Amino acid sequence: MQGFALYPFDPPGDIASLRADLRAWLAVNQPQSDVVARANCWASFDPDFSCALGAAGYVGMTLPARYGGGDRHPLERYVVIEELLAAGAPVGAHWIADRQTAPLILRYGSEEQRERYLPGIARGELYACIGLSEPGAGSDLAAVRTMARETADGWRINGQKIWTTGAHFSHIMLALVRTEEGSERNVGLSQLLIDLDTPGITIRPIIDMAGHHDFNEVFFDDALVPHGALVGEHGQGWKQVTAELGLERSGPERYLSSHALLVALIDTAGPDPAPAIATLIGELTAEMWTLRQLSMSTAAKLAAGEDPMVEASVVKELGNAFEQDMPRRVQAIVTSGWDDEDDLARLLRALLIASPSFSLRGGTREVIRGIIARGLGLR
Amino acid sequence: MSDARALLCDTARAVFAEAETVGIAPIEEAGFGLLLVAEEQGGFGGDWGDVNAVLQIAGMAVPDLPVAELIAGETLQPAATVSLMAGAMDRALTLSIDHVNTRQQFGRPLGKFQAVQQSLAVMACEVRAVGAVAAALAARLDTAKLDAAAAGFEIAAAKLRANRAVGVVTSIAHQVHGAIGFTAEYELHRLTVPLMRWRGAHGNDDHWAQILGRQVAALGGRGLWDTMTARDA
Repeated sequence: MQGFALYPFDPPGDIASLRADLRAWLAVNQPQSDVVARANCWASFDPDFSCALGAAGYVGMTLPARYGGGDRHPLERYVVIEELLAAGAPVGAHWIADRQTAPLILRYGSEEQRERYLPGIARGELYACIGLSEPGAGSDLAAVRTMARETADGWRINGQKIWTTGAHFSHIMLALVRTEEGSERNVGLSQLLIDLDTPGITIRPIIDMAGHHDFNEVFFDDALVPHGALVGEHGQGWKQVTAELGLERSGPERYLSSHALLVALIDTAGPDPAPAIATLIGELTAEMWTLRQLSMSTAAKLAAGEDPMVEASVVKELGNAFEQDMPRRVQAIVTSGWDDEDDLARLLRALLIASPSFSLRGGTREVIRGIIARGLGLR
Repeated sequence: MSDARALLCDTARAVFAEAETVGIAPIEEAGFGLLLVAEEQGGFGGDWGDVNAVLQIAGMAVPDLPVAELIAGETLQPAATVSLMAGAMDRALTLSIDHVNTRQQFGRPLGKFQAVQQSLAVMACEVRAVGAVAAALAARLDTAKLDAAAAGFEIAAAKLRANRAVGVVTSIAHQVHGAIGFTAEYELHRLTVPLMRWRGAHGNDDHWAQILGRQVAALGGRGLWDTMTARDA
């Protein structure tokens, strides 16, 4: 490996005033939401907030102006994202559309698709979900079986997606489907952009163990979408999807989504904490600082047009471990009871229950470690 | 990496290779003690980015020689140790990967076993983390003109993070090497024993966790984020 040089995080423009402007905007516009909603804010759905954020120019920041975007640098967007997460702003509604779907449409989509979808995403009005997992596939994405057959009228889709975050409030799904009958594994797959109000699509909730409704099952029963729904090249779905996953694995959400708990721990401990609590705060701070360096460096590499697959996986692996570890270590040291109703106790309970998902979403820990091992030359 | 730094690293590799057998003298003679001394005072005029690069090579090649003491003063020894640790960990990872790709058991190289791959992925994450904190600390020290007090937050965070990586890195490196890694003739212990020593040197985990934890407690929860973002180079 010969030393890990940090890729320089060097955004253009006046970053200090970008942060200051956004903080001032949030002070006025961020809803006074509950501390638990703030803790897992990229799952908090608030369309009013998303639209206001879009109107203020903080959604679709990197899209070209001709599609309603802000023409900003990806690292300016990065700064905005980390500020939104650190503040616990409810970004869940537009999150996936802004992070993944819009860049993918811009890169691979047709001109018609760009004009049709990007302006709504940039306004914070149009929401998207990602149709990857299926029953029997899970982390083995190449096992996708949902079939789209090309007919004279368009693509006819049959099959089922599962674990689809936000399908119940999304307008579109970017789905990985099999478009060559009888094809195997990662060959013969394509991406389709599906309007979710198409007849033949049924969305059913899956309630998670925290009682939340983020996931869904999505059924396609002879759903017909136009020829123009194909994104990018026919049969190139696998390549397009793996490029997309890099956008999902290294962002600040991989270490900042439980940030509210660290804030609550520090505020509860006060300015002169007991030694054991000072130790824990110090250790968690060192880890968070490290993750921030790794995440910024990876973002800079992505922004430079490189493909930091391994770096992104390192951020996800260490970030997930940090976020799972934090509530456990806080619980081990604070006196809050399970049923207490103060902020720290409620946050702790919510994050302990949510934490098993952290090393599942966006690729399981084992798959991520496999990607790193390949990067080390072991596979 | 700049051309000047690349040249410096080439020199360091050659000089340290010689020093491996004869001791610190060639390193002193080559003038590495003048790395941070300004050019107008007859020195090399280097920055901490250069020191970080050279000490990482020292951590790989001559971990037992007092190169850090030769280059940097007392207040910067914790930072220097982070660079040594990053280098030694990187080298331990390289040795481990080479070993599992070469050594065959049950009819195939050890590296083809998923259990071994998963262990080495965990180790690689720690090694990358320490490389990252060494680089980020270097950037901060250069912005702060090598003022250790001004980089107090970064020194504490980096040394603490590097210390905490030692357990995982040394245990996985030895585990995947099997018994050969525990012998005096094989070179792994030349890296892992210094790593164990460095964890306790220039501030153990508790020392830096207390310093950092108290500093953060005084900032308050929101203050931590504001401070961290305000310190970006």
